[in-house]
Amino acid sequence: MSKDWKSYQPHLLPAIKDLHEMPVYEKHGGYKALSTILKDKNNWPPEEVVAEVKEANIRGRGGAGFNAGLKWSFMPEPDGGPRYLACNGDESEPGTFKDRKLFEFNPHLFIEGAIIAAYAMHVDVIYVYIRGEYRPYVKLLDEAIRQAYDKGYLGKNILGSDFSVEMYTHMGAGAYICGEESSLMESLEGKRGYPRVKPPFPAQKGLWGRPTTINNIETLANVPLVINNGASWFKQIGPDSHPGPVLYGISGHVNQPGVYEYPSGMEIMTLINEVAGGVRNGKKLKALIPGGSSTPPVRADVLDGITMDADSLREIGTMMGTAGMVILDEDTDMVDVIWRISHFYHHESCGQCTPCREGTGWLEKTLLKIKNGNGEMRDLDLLLAICNRMEGRTICALADAAAWPVRYSIDRFRDEFESRCKKTVYAVA
Amino acid sequence: MPEIFIDNKRYEYEEPGKVLQFMLDHGLDLPFFCYHPSLSIPANCRQCVVKAGMPVFDRDKGAYEIDEDGNRKIRYFPKLMTACSLDLADGMVIHTHHTDDLVKQAQADNLEFILINHPLDCPICDQAGECPLQILTYKYGPEGSRFEHKKVHKPKAIQLGPRVILDAERCINCTRCTRFTEEISKTNQLSIISRGDKNYPMTAEGEEFDDPYSLNTVDICPVGALTSADFRFKARVWEMNQTPSIDVSNGKGCNTYIWTRDNLVMRITPRFNEAVNDHWMPDAGRLSYREYNENRISKPHIRLDAGNQVKSSWNNAELTFREELEKRSADKIQVIGSPHASVEDNYVLKSSFEKLGVQNFSFVPHVIPGAGDDLLLTDDQAPNTNGVRALGYAATESGKLKKLIDSKKPSMIVILNDDLMGRTDAPPELFEDTFVVYLGTNHNETSKHADLVIPVTSAAEHAASYVNVDGRIQRTFPAKETLYTNRRLNLEMSMGRLDHYGTKFDNWVSDANRIDCIPAWEFFVRISPDSDRPDWQSSRDILDQISGEVPLFRDVSYERMDDENGIQLKLEQDSEVNTV
Repeated sequence: MSKDWKSYQPHLLPAIKDLHEMPVYEKHGGYKALSTILKDKNNWPPEEVVAEVKEANIRGRGGAGFNAGLKWSFMPEPDGGPRYLACNGDESEPGTFKDRKLFEFNPHLFIEGAIIAAYAMHVDVIYVYIRGEYRPYVKLLDEAIRQAYDKGYLGKNILGSDFSVEMYTHMGAGAYICGEESSLMESLEGKRGYPRVKPPFPAQKGLWGRPTTINNIETLANVPLVINNGASWFKQIGPDSHPGPVLYGISGHVNQPGVYEYPSGMEIMTLINEVAGGVRNGKKLKALIPGGSSTPPVRADVLDGITMDADSLREIGTMMGTAGMVILDEDTDMVDVIWRISHFYHHESCGQCTPCREGTGWLEKTLLKIKNGNGEMRDLDLLLAICNRMEGRTICALADAAAWPVRYSIDRFRDEFESRCKKTVYAVA
Repeated sequence: MPEIFIDNKRYEYEEPGKVLQFMLDHGLDLPFFCYHPSLSIPANCRQCVVKAGMPVFDRDKGAYEIDEDGNRKIRYFPKLMTACSLDLADGMVIHTHHTDDLVKQAQADNLEFILINHPLDCPICDQAGECPLQILTYKYGPEGSRFEHKKVHKPKAIQLGPRVILDAERCINCTRCTRFTEEISKTNQLSIISRGDKNYPMTAEGEEFDDPYSLNTVDICPVGALTSADFRFKARVWEMNQTPSIDVSNGKGCNTYIWTRDNLVMRITPRFNEAVNDHWMPDAGRLSYREYNENRISKPHIRLDAGNQVKSSWNNAELTFREELEKRSADKIQVIGSPHASVEDNYVLKSSFEKLGVQNFSFVPHVIPGAGDDLLLTDDQAPNTNGVRALGYAATESGKLKKLIDSKKPSMIVILNDDLMGRTDAPPELFEDTFVVYLGTNHNETSKHADLVIPVTSAAEHAASYVNVDGRIQRTFPAKETLYTNRRLNLEMSMGRLDHYGTKFDNWVSDANRIDCIPAWEFFVRISPDSDRPDWQSSRDILDQISGEVPLFRDVSYERMDDENGIQLKLEQDSEVNTV
């Protein structure tokens, strides 16, 4: 697929002017998927929608990469009580900035996807949780939602059917942890954003103790594409195990950073050199953080032939994450980078679990010591020991996300850490 | 019956539950901080981690898969699990620090984490000695710490409310206190603020933590972050004796411990009793400890003809009392029992005067409508209203006391420990023409105007039983000594009873601060005629007699109360106040 990427026509962010306006969106096939389903409910019962999405194998774009249709199928049978869909637009991870493009340029695609998801799971209320810093995009989304209500795509008896759903936006207050699905629910309920202990899982006991599914914005935006074109069409985009269009958020030391929509499974070097215009100032590539700051950094020398999909990235010991690629050139000091990432996780740890609350701070302080040239060799062992005891010992994955960059960068860039600790001048390779 | 294997030992369970609670119920040790049996399970301290696994079930064969050694194949969870949140499951295998080095290491690691930002100021911390963090660190913690950086600094000595003080640096963020205000007292006054290693519990801006149950957060705080404004810096835990008792400040009869040093009550803390107060008690009950120490009546007092009260000898007091009795006929004597006094004292008061032919027995319920709530505070302000009523005293509402006195015109009134002149509409003038005998623990309006004052023991000094608003009879133990009685000889502080620390004889005996008083029943035994003197040696004997005479108390004994943690009585009257 990556061969003919140049001829790829974007689906999530097509180059159409004013696509965020309802008439423009409708003119370009907007809300067709929704009306197809609702006008032909015998052909498209909710189970059929779930099956189709499951078949399409949309792997969650929020980082975990879980099959969205499979996740929907975990919702229990309706029992008459309320059920919720929470849309996760809290993207706050350093290096991740793809959902804002959807809010900005194609909000109706996401809204349509969310309504279809609500139909498939018998959901009554959709909440869209957006990070507070996205104030302008919340306004844009609110406007789009208003338009959808006006047109009868949202609200009571949508398109004359007996299906009704409400949609609300909710702004976060600046906490990274609220992007974790269970603390997102706590935050929506008006509580402190502490992740919940699982089980029970959200599908059993979610918002206000009711069945809830949490999906990423980009994941939901893929749903109308699947309904319109069929699962088999969707699956032939990109590799079988991780199909579909992906919004690559490319940042760092490249000439043209930005969000690019291409098929999943693009070759990483193609993305860097051709899509993003190559490394800045003609420098050499040193390292890549492939999917947001929590994914383990990798050395440039392992990237040949590696593609952006879960399986290929696993081979080199990292993860797809949110496809928020951070490119680091040869001038980058990895100790500085990792310290800065550690600083972020120290700042964002919610403080609920002991290993994360104390470990993130300890990591940052130790890295700062090394960064300032006061480190000793034993500090590297200490860092690895702290990582060991943080990983897998907490309620949510933030401790893992904080520990991995440290562990893997010491693993993969040990010479740089050692030279700092040995108090020698670090010569740029 | 479903089974579970903990450290290679087999246990059976009936009810579904959590692994940690199951282990605690079976006396197995596992360190934990955030878990509390009466609160929700946040699993946030991560201290109670265990290695857990399930046997592999072969669906085709309908049996567990067996390995080469003939044991069940176990599939372990990939991560260590927190026992507090782990559901019991049939066949589950648990390995704790006793049988798994990884678990042992994980527990030590976690304690190292907790301690890196903990100030380690145990020598000046009030919690030292009863601090789970201190105890568990000695038991499970690492040898030292590898943390070489500055600790996080947070606010110290913040007055959260009138009774609770916060030291945020000591906080380990277990959230027990916030969960208490959310789930038990339901005031939601505390919440964790800030994030990560900077967080600590705090009230909302400008609000104060004046929850009527606020001091319970001090009890459940596993470190010295929350301390009692009243108790802090007063006494070390190991300097005090701890005696089981009950709260006599209201009608609920919360089970308590009385902590004494040198015959002074230093503090009162709740004692677990699922049927009454669970792990909690109201702040008012704790702070009522002062009444055991301060303003106590010591030595009898007699009013002279000039109108002033003077201290007198016990002999003189007894003589005066006998003389006054002989001066008048029995129908001129009014006896007022007390909901604040014990079943035994009220019984002996009534039976002694019945022998003299007295028929006027009443008591004044101490009820403040609206003072109670649906947790542990009650409208009834007295610990024994049901007990005194069951003994045959007629309830006289406080407003009708004047009518009673006006109509019967007694020339002598005997009042058992109850500040009638202070709390009712019966002003001292009402008693001007009568000879008032007051048997009380503390100086108050009534003792001030009485003609004869007999000092009696308080709930902290005698063994006695009380019937709470729900009809549950519970008893106290002597926690501090009086001038004449040695509580050991008085049988109830028995020598065989192990104290909290498992020792028999750790009671710190001191001559200081003893009050010159006797149990009320003992005074009536003393003044009864030699020919007809009951041979009661202790309140235990009295209760035995009561249980034979009064139907409500049938089969009630101190032994049963001790074994069953109080006995639920079948109250015949409804608990509404009957008026005469």
